[in-house]
Amino acid sequence: MNTRFPNRYLPYLLIAPMIIVVIVFFLIPSVQSLYLSFFRVNPLGNRQIFVGLENFARLITNPNYRNSLLVSVEFAILVVFSGLGSSLFVATVANQRLPGFAVYRAMLIWPYALSPAIAGLVWGLMMNPNFGLGAVLLKRLTAIEFNYLTSSISAILFLALAATWKMFGYNIVFFLAGLQGLPTELLEAASLDGAGGWQKFWKVTFPLLSPTTFFLLIMNTLYAFFEIFGLVHITTQGGPGQATNLLVFNLYKDGFIGMDTGFASAQSIVLLFFVATLTFLQFRYVGQRVHYR
Amino acid sequence: MNVRQLALTLIVTFSLVLSACTPAVQTPTTAVQPEPTRAPQETSSSAAVQITFWHAMSGSREEVIKGIADRFNKSQTQYQVIPEYTGSYAETLTKGLAAYRSGTPPTIVQVYEVGTRTMLDSGAIVPVHTLNKGEVDWADIVQPILKYYSVDNNLFCMPFNSSTAMLYYNKDMFVAAGLDPDKPPTTWAEVEEYSKKIMDAGAATGGFSMGWPAWILEQMFATHNQLFANQDNGRTGLSTEVYLNSEFGTKVLTEWQRMAKEDILVYGGREYAANDPFLAKQFPFRFQSTSSLGGILKSAEFEVGTAFLPRLDGYESGNSVVGGGCLWLMDKATPEQQTGSWEFFKFINSVDETIEWHKKTGYFPATNTAYEKLKTDGWFDEEPNHATAFNQILGGADTPASRGVLLGNFVQIRDIVGAAIEEAVVNNVDPKTALDKATDEANQVLKDYESLNK
Repeated sequence: MNTRFPNRYLPYLLIAPMIIVVIVFFLIPSVQSLYLSFFRVNPLGNRQIFVGLENFARLITNPNYRNSLLVSVEFAILVVFSGLGSSLFVATVANQRLPGFAVYRAMLIWPYALSPAIAGLVWGLMMNPNFGLGAVLLKRLTAIEFNYLTSSISAILFLALAATWKMFGYNIVFFLAGLQGLPTELLEAASLDGAGGWQKFWKVTFPLLSPTTFFLLIMNTLYAFFEIFGLVHITTQGGPGQATNLLVFNLYKDGFIGMDTGFASAQSIVLLFFVATLTFLQFRYVGQRVHYR
Repeated sequence: MNVRQLALTLIVTFSLVLSACTPAVQTPTTAVQPEPTRAPQETSSSAAVQITFWHAMSGSREEVIKGIADRFNKSQTQYQVIPEYTGSYAETLTKGLAAYRSGTPPTIVQVYEVGTRTMLDSGAIVPVHTLNKGEVDWADIVQPILKYYSVDNNLFCMPFNSSTAMLYYNKDMFVAAGLDPDKPPTTWAEVEEYSKKIMDAGAATGGFSMGWPAWILEQMFATHNQLFANQDNGRTGLSTEVYLNSEFGTKVLTEWQRMAKEDILVYGGREYAANDPFLAKQFPFRFQSTSSLGGILKSAEFEVGTAFLPRLDGYESGNSVVGGGCLWLMDKATPEQQTGSWEFFKFINSVDETIEWHKKTGYFPATNTAYEKLKTDGWFDEEPNHATAFNQILGGADTPASRGVLLGNFVQIRDIVGAAIEEAVVNNVDPKTALDKATDEANQVLKDYESLNK
């Protein structure tokens, strides 16, 4: 780590591309958003009224926004826990040394290659209440009416399912890498001490895997808050009612459909701080329990 | 902090940064503007003035638009119209305005009826009536369409694709349930009664679904001669208050909720998803725009009937409202482009083009001349379903409540109404409560709009 650079300007030159990206795509738009969040702007952007903190005050008093916040948190919890749980399970199973498993493992990442919009299209068709194979089979076999257009619970479960599936491959790849990097001697020692499979997993594997789990926890949280826009846009459109009106979608509706730029900017600022705080808290409290070797 | 932790922190920061950009960028839409500098087609001279035309007509309708532009471009050499599909109605409007903001708007943009007030107040358009030097007789445009897009008797945009909502029904199911397939329901009570009969006969699993439910609710206000908003629906001044939670509005939504509880009304989303169960022979009825007629007739495996929107007893008669789109000329257009656009408008308004457009899409023929010609040619006898909506709109009363609603930021209000309907019909919220909430929200939108457009 103590290698010296031959030229004192070289390090700055090397990080310059990243800094430029941050300035152009993050700092400038953020500052602009912050500025606009104090205004009410007409659709053409040629008339602005300074409204101070009114946009933020409205966020607090707006029942739809509070609902949106609640739905987003519920959704994130669903996606993170079901996603991490299921992918850890599959990764553990796929980590066995069996013939053909290399190919199988490689195929597990496929869903990640799809864009959220395509994932939405696929799931939307599959679970279409009228002709979707998934929904029709479910109804025939279990008599469960799964209609994401008319049932709030179906809608949020549907989104969480599609979102989890989309992130599945990504999670599995990281878990697999983590599992394969585990020192076998610890597991062998545990076996010699008479630990069963269940004990070995919870007492040895899981703690050793904690850096990976922690990393995925943060990535999945970010994913659940920011990247599911395409999925919502193509399937539920925030409905029925306000049932799947996640924060990013609410922002899009107000900003790009309602053309209420000021209000939408205030939302983007709040969203940014909300997720930044969440990430900070995760580092502060969960991060401490992570066992780095 | 060791290396691993450092790397982790960096990755997280980086992804935070990247993902945070998305909501913060204000006009990503401007990035997808079509190339205005496309090589002219062989038929027109290289000196032709180019006219960009952004529209929201997807699927088969896009082909029809291309055909119109082609014929126009071949009919003369001075101007060249370049049609460009720019997404849904809402997206096309947003993109058009965003492009105007950044200084590169299209010459002509198609805007749906909901965006009319926004366009009128934008200060970014050339009113179409200022272009007409007596070549076009506005009186020839079908009255309800003309009135929808006129303010103080002046037409502001060129009517292009106009439609209204009507009731579609499955004649085969009528026969299966022993009903007369040529006697569609005329009241909501009959819709309910017939639905039950057909469901009891085992011919359907539900009664009806609605495309664009928020629009259907507006249609209900208009056909029963009820004002939707103050200032005569925004026709005599900026509207500041909606009457969504009026006795009438509450009554309609209460009826809908009741029928939803009995599985007669089956909610079908906010746009076109309602078409699927109707086509899949699950319900005998469906409410939808006339513009879906062409597609429905093509894909239905049963005999399709069409009828007027049903009524509630005890209210006055109004008229169904025109929906669809209108062509707006942006004021950044050069004088040559303006002249060329006017030529193009005259071209689409010609009898042949109007008829072609109507036959291929199901939209109204916008002029009386074209309508008469279709009639004498026997088109409506051959295709009676194409006449239904037209008869509905020509047979209604011309009152302030039925000329269509002009609201500031109507796009947002539509969304609010759509959510209120879902709350009542899907989530079983008390209709009055849902409408009270929607009214407050819509009034706030109108207040904001007023503050920006004094």
